[in-house]
Amino acid sequence: MAEIAQAAPARPFVRRSPWSELFRKEDWWAIWIGLGLIAVAVALFAGGSSIKWLAVAPQKWSHLTDVTQQLKAHGLQYAALFVLWAVAFGIGAAALGIKITRFLPAFLLVYLAAGSIYFLGQWDQAAHYNLEPPLVALGLGLLLSNTLGVPRWLEPGLRVEFYIKTGIVLLGAGLPLTLIAWAGPVAIVQAAIVSLATFGVIYAAAVRLGLDRRLAATLGTGGAVCGVSGAIAVGGAVGAKKEEVSVAISLVVVWAIVMIFVLPLIARALNLSTGVAGAWIGTSEFADAAGLAAAQTYGGYAGNVPGIAGSPDAAVSAFTLMKVIGRDVWIGVWAFVLSLIATTRWERTGVQSKASAAEIWNRFPKFVLGFLVASAVMTLVTRGFDYAVYKKEVLPTLVAPLQAFRTWAFTFAFLSIGLSTRIREFASIGARPLVAFTIGVVVNVILGFVLSTQVFGGFWNRLGQ
Amino acid sequence: MKRPDSPSCRQCRYFQNAASDVEAALPGLSALSSAYAAVRGSDGICAVHARYVAASAHCPDFAISVSLVRSQAALA
Repeated sequence: MAEIAQAAPARPFVRRSPWSELFRKEDWWAIWIGLGLIAVAVALFAGGSSIKWLAVAPQKWSHLTDVTQQLKAHGLQYAALFVLWAVAFGIGAAALGIKITRFLPAFLLVYLAAGSIYFLGQWDQAAHYNLEPPLVALGLGLLLSNTLGVPRWLEPGLRVEFYIKTGIVLLGAGLPLTLIAWAGPVAIVQAAIVSLATFGVIYAAAVRLGLDRRLAATLGTGGAVCGVSGAIAVGGAVGAKKEEVSVAISLVVVWAIVMIFVLPLIARALNLSTGVAGAWIGTSEFADAAGLAAAQTYGGYAGNVPGIAGSPDAAVSAFTLMKVIGRDVWIGVWAFVLSLIATTRWERTGVQSKASAAEIWNRFPKFVLGFLVASAVMTLVTRGFDYAVYKKEVLPTLVAPLQAFRTWAFTFAFLSIGLSTRIREFASIGARPLVAFTIGVVVNVILGFVLSTQVFGGFWNRLGQ
Repeated sequence: MKRPDSPSCRQCRYFQNAASDVEAALPGLSALSSAYAAVRGSDGICAVHARYVAASAHCPDFAISVSLVRSQAALA
């Protein structure tokens, strides 16, 4: 133990105010950045101007000369956009404890690579060759990180969750509060059915296979609620072994990445509408970033692939309602309940945990608040405009630029997933956890499909229209 | 600054819950989540029991952190 004591770092002990969380968690920084952009956009819109100059995005192109022309015409805007993101994410990263001098060079490369992928997605033949930006970003990142490797200096810029949460807050600006109120309850019911069934199956299978109950609970929450975030929330709440949490993380990441490619493929083969496919992905994917990659890919099929009905945004909207509102927000409750069970019913470990209801709020994914506030603000700002005025004035000067910011943030995230996933570093999973988790995946996918296409299919189809 | 109430992992020298330490200890965590996320709370790694535990947990092997001793000495 003396050796461990010497090895343990002597970090400064600081008793922090609860308010310090507002600047020490990336959820809050995603809110500040997302809502900050929305506030500026709304202020400019109210003043008769627009933020669209800064929200530059690649346009459709046919030949490489078109790309060159776009870059010549808008080069200054792309440089300004980089500065905006670098300042916003750089300040956030610095507040989180990431050295800004390490973050900025890495982010520059992330920005350039994301921009290239964004451009590739606008090629008029991209859909023909299945070059959907989320899949290209992910596939390229995975290929590089697992063959050539990713240099250490790039790692500080690969903040998947920071980017995806910022994108989700911005996504709130595109979803009217009335839609969330209309579809939210259905999403909660559907997600609750699948979450409880998936958790129950994984937990029961794991215990039956002789695995520790804490590992079973960590695996179950990872599969049923919110992927890696669910696994670490419950792993900590029940006091799982470190290697058990590692096993759960490895399983979730591997399956989540498989699902990014498989779910859109099956949905496309079955000609599911964008709303239905988004709901299914939201029910059956494990992580927000992975699910958004799949949902955005599927949304891209609308209008490009024959037989896919619904609007492009419906896939992402349905996914977000299902995953964020239906599943993510309950993680604190899961952690509290399982912590209570662990401390009162399960065999004791050397470490005694305390179950506290305060954990429900402590572990609440705060970025969801930003998503809801963004929706409320935009609903208020855009009310009173008739459809013609909305389409002619509000959409191009206020809504579309915020959508462009969102797409940039998501592309940073999709690229970062691939670049930060190094399969060889994963924990050795073992056959029994793999079997237990895979049984849960099968149940989750089938049940999610039946609920999304049969039980609530009409509802999700209407969302897409 | 208040003195700590009762010994918990939060004040223990064997407890590591800095986000960078947690991400280094759990490979794959940052690929689809983050140690900087709100859902993690203040959980960290116990170097004695090799468990991932809440900062509010406790055990008989508690050893006050060196930095906390210094903080208390400064208060005295």
